[in-house]
Amino acid sequence: MHFVADNIISPLGNTTELNFKAVEAGRSALQHFAEDSVSTEPYVAAKFTEEQRQSLEIAELTRFEALAALSAKEAIGKAGIDVSAPNVVFILSTTKANIENLHSGDEPAEAFIPSVAAQHIANYLGVTTKPLVVCNACISGVAAIITAKRLVDGGRFDYAIVCGADVLSRFTVSGFQSLKALSADECRPFDIERNGLNLGEAAATIVFSSSTGEFSIEAGTIRNDAFHISSPSKNGEGAFLALKALDAEPYLEDIAFINAHGTATLFNDQMEAVAIERAGLTDIPVNGLKGYFGHTMGAAGILETIISKEALRHGLVLATRGFEETGTSAEINLSAVNRPVVKDRIIKMISGFGGGNAAILIRKESENALQSNGAEFFDSCLTTVHHVAIDSQSASLDGQHIVCQSCGRQMLVELYKRFIADYPKYYKMDPLCRLGLVASGLLLKEKDVEPQAIILFNHSSSSVADRRYWATVSAPDNSFPSPAHFVYTLPNIVTGEIAMRYGIHGETAFFILPDRDERFISDIVNSIFKDEGLNSAIVGWIDYSDDELYTADLLLLSKT
Amino acid sequence: MEELIKELKANIIEVLNLEDMAPEDIENDAPLFGEGLGLDSIDALELIVMMEKEYGIKLKNPAEGKEIFKSINVMAQYVSEHRTK
Repeated sequence: MHFVADNIISPLGNTTELNFKAVEAGRSALQHFAEDSVSTEPYVAAKFTEEQRQSLEIAELTRFEALAALSAKEAIGKAGIDVSAPNVVFILSTTKANIENLHSGDEPAEAFIPSVAAQHIANYLGVTTKPLVVCNACISGVAAIITAKRLVDGGRFDYAIVCGADVLSRFTVSGFQSLKALSADECRPFDIERNGLNLGEAAATIVFSSSTGEFSIEAGTIRNDAFHISSPSKNGEGAFLALKALDAEPYLEDIAFINAHGTATLFNDQMEAVAIERAGLTDIPVNGLKGYFGHTMGAAGILETIISKEALRHGLVLATRGFEETGTSAEINLSAVNRPVVKDRIIKMISGFGGGNAAILIRKESENALQSNGAEFFDSCLTTVHHVAIDSQSASLDGQHIVCQSCGRQMLVELYKRFIADYPKYYKMDPLCRLGLVASGLLLKEKDVEPQAIILFNHSSSSVADRRYWATVSAPDNSFPSPAHFVYTLPNIVTGEIAMRYGIHGETAFFILPDRDERFISDIVNSIFKDEGLNSAIVGWIDYSDDELYTADLLLLSKT
Repeated sequence: MEELIKELKANIIEVLNLEDMAPEDIENDAPLFGEGLGLDSIDALELIVMMEKEYGIKLKNPAEGKEIFKSINVMAQYVSEHRTK
């Protein structure tokens, strides 16, 4: 899969070129702000100015939707493709989409669900196929690129518009504050003095194609720490496994640099340094871009991929702004100034809540080697080992009805006590995770096949957890944002909880769709199973709208 | 102090969703983290929120929590000395 065109809209500018030039010159979008509508205390962030905000408005769209739509529109314009064709897919990467609309209280219940936003953006752009939302917390952007690669290389679509965006709101800022993750100063990735991250708002889009191009995505991997839902693994297990699975050993001499996640929290940067060392990549230059843009959440993986690709084109390892002295136990090759390099590959790595870690290998094609992959798409031969179906009224395993005394929320507690029982962490989970834990517990009851990956889909995202967290923030004169509730406002946490419970270190992925489109779901699942190393996975639909309306329809699939 | 200890246990059970535990299951001098109740880093942050909400005690640095949340006894001592509400 090849790059055709791209765009970045950040406080540093509205095109890839403007953003790259700013970074090359060492300019940062980070600024100090006093208390305001998004924060009850002073903070540092990369935010659009009032003037920029007004220039990024579209009448029928929300602020978030307009930001994403304008970025996608510019990239599509440069690519010159007909997006109404059935061979074009729109993939949106976001963590919280329209969540700022939850603030007003008078929005319809559906308005803040990411798939609704994605449909609005797709309609505006004129895309006619169903939009797909990748909601994998901070790794969403890179996960979306990997999803696009599989669908395009597999022949399901010829073009993928991969767009990532998030905006700053009281919801997100209060959550990161409750986790004590924000730095009061400009962030210092990998530095000994680092003490937290800064948030940023931005949108970034890449149009990919199956045909030829100057840069391509050569490989992409996702692996889970199976360690904790918000703390990175101490030995960098997931990130190490993701780097190893890239199979980049033959190209080590050709890799110009590794663009790390580098959030500048104590634990993330330490974890990444350990993972890079364990993967034997210590000699390769590493950099981080959060000092220029802040952590742009759903946009981060895409924005940083674009800037890194431009750096490769310009023969540069960009400086890590904010870095002075190494502050990780593992030695890595960082620099506070731009360095020249003439090589043809880069690695982008990223990590996030829910234990997810992703990595991609990007390649600059040599001039006489431009050629398409042109792989055929074929359905892998998959067998259903077990099938669990649970809704608020009933439950079944492999078609056998499980008689329950209760229904609704209580039924899940009953199933937990009968079939799991020895995992008190269950009680701390939000309803979506409880449903996922119980359903996967039933699915794996026989212990006959060990799943390597977890691939889940839904419509309602994490709407129950979103409301519950917002209640702790928005109570008048009694605002005490709950860090535990905030973490569960990322729907992919359910994949992380299942991975932790069953020690699953393979890929974890969460997708949000406008509706339960079985054909599209099966295309995505098949494209993931084309990974030769993947033999079994928990796959299915899991949606929790409220205590009386939930569904888990999960399969344990195995390659035959 | 007895009253405060009872209240602290009830509050901890509530904010940390320890639904299957009763106050008497938590020992006064047993460690809350690590072995003990098996609490983790998010629980520690949740206890910091509780300290401010219920007792008006603001802990700026999460590391301070490590000492204060050693056991129920230590916590009760700290709360009785520093509470503002």
